[in-house]
Amino acid sequence: MNRIRKVSSKIISEQEAVETFVKDGTRLRSGGIAVRKPFALLNEVVRQRKKDITLLLSGFTEDGDILVGAGVVNKLEGSYFGLEALGLAHNYRRAYEQGIPQKILIEEYSNFGMTMRFMAAAMGLPFMPTKTHLGSDLVKYNVLREKKAHVLEDPFTGEKVMLLPACHADVALVHAQRCDADGNLQVWGQIGDDEWGCRAAKVVVAEVEEVVDESIIRRDPNRTILPGFMVDAIVIAPFGSHPYQCQGYYDLDLEFRKMYASMTKTREGFLQYLEDWIYGVDSHQEYLKKLGSERLERLKAKPYFSEPVNYGY
Amino acid sequence: MTLPYTLAELMAVHAGRQIKDGEVAFIGTGLPMLGAMLAKRLHAPHAVMIYESGVIDARPKRTPISIGDACLVPDSAMLGGLVEAIGFLLQAGHVDLGFIGAAQIDIHGNINTSVIGEYHHPQVRLPGSGGANDIGSLAQRIVIMLAQDKRKFVEKLDYLTTPGYLWGKGARQEVGLPRGGPAKVITNLGIYGFDENLEMYLESYHPGITIEKIKENVSWDIKISPQVQETEPPTPEELRLLREEFDPQGIFLGGRE
Repeated sequence: MNRIRKVSSKIISEQEAVETFVKDGTRLRSGGIAVRKPFALLNEVVRQRKKDITLLLSGFTEDGDILVGAGVVNKLEGSYFGLEALGLAHNYRRAYEQGIPQKILIEEYSNFGMTMRFMAAAMGLPFMPTKTHLGSDLVKYNVLREKKAHVLEDPFTGEKVMLLPACHADVALVHAQRCDADGNLQVWGQIGDDEWGCRAAKVVVAEVEEVVDESIIRRDPNRTILPGFMVDAIVIAPFGSHPYQCQGYYDLDLEFRKMYASMTKTREGFLQYLEDWIYGVDSHQEYLKKLGSERLERLKAKPYFSEPVNYGY
Repeated sequence: MTLPYTLAELMAVHAGRQIKDGEVAFIGTGLPMLGAMLAKRLHAPHAVMIYESGVIDARPKRTPISIGDACLVPDSAMLGGLVEAIGFLLQAGHVDLGFIGAAQIDIHGNINTSVIGEYHHPQVRLPGSGGANDIGSLAQRIVIMLAQDKRKFVEKLDYLTTPGYLWGKGARQEVGLPRGGPAKVITNLGIYGFDENLEMYLESYHPGITIEKIKENVSWDIKISPQVQETEPPTPEELRLLREEFDPQGIFLGGRE
């Protein structure tokens, strides 16, 4: 595969990244389990009013809920659809229970099941075996696939194992702390299923807090989760995962999350949220302006540095 | 009768007391997070706390609001992702206990967190498994926590998200699960164990709650332990820690009367 791009730079705007790579009907993997969610890109997907997207992730929270409520997503493969300590996800409920704004179809697995499915795709395998899902209704109802799981008797011991099919994505979105101009992508803090989710996609679009000099990345290569040749586009998006956290950059905005949970209890409230925070702002830059510098300053992470390590030999 | 603590506080305290010193515990969102903070501070300083998004041996300085909270990262022993937390630790059998919430539970401790009603056309669509199926399938034992009423303690689940003891003796082995099963159920009314037939029974009723009230809130004829007693109340120190240090904003414990 020729990975040499015919573009002068991978660093593009979120508008161009979404226009170029996210099409109607895309199988879209979005990142982050409870941390580092790529909201700058997801909001742009909503702004560009994409349709018929299949969304893939282990743990959906506001990310999946917004895309479902905005009518962007009509199929999901995943395991969790809620707002964690803040309660149930209302758009998701309205869509599933009442078909508002449209009926959604869900293929459900567990968190680990989804991660194993991404891992299978990432490694070029048709499936991965696990010891979860056994005996549960997770494997009883298949919605999108003709066969969603298979119990195999281990040919060596006779023990039962659950095989889960590879989950391939057309495009993966991810929010990372930093990369260099080639896209060598570094993440620290909790990884969730980001490594495997990204590696399972044909195209990776990364939003990052900052693009740093190549030497900074290459002097600390253990932190890299994807080599640059696998990253197709880079969007510079400081505070891009607001209202979620990004380790070393900012804390969660609990007030904002509470506001979302409360506003989205009604369809009208959600439409207001869309107008206020997505359609009514042209870009991530505008979104940050609306939040205000004082609020962003308050969320900024306190310094807590580790010691440098010696990579010498 | 007015108690000097809430039932949510009592639940958090008893969640914490399930963790023994030196054990490896898998902590889920909500009251178990407060329980884990209490355990680590009071009776289980050597317990190893695992959080699903990839934190191993966490020592958070504030109570995390979710399994991915960045406050879990500084001073933890090791970081990875779900592959490390679930694949390497849970699946390989290194986790002693895990905590799970439930919307419905049956006599064998099977759990529904997916739908109320018919699967394709439910009255309420719930969050689904998340990591619950993984924890319930793979931990050495699990502790289930929920607010109790008759519609939640059901004879038949609307959907089996996470296996407890399935249909009873030998069932987990038969379907291929490697180990585990529910050890305790902690509700706002009482604490339950499982007998030799792997059926739930009442171990203790909370102060201010009668056995009668418990029976009214279970839709099968719940067995009562011959040694049934009142649930031990929280200690003043447990309450102080919960209120002043671990949940001063009442995020998990809600408003206090």
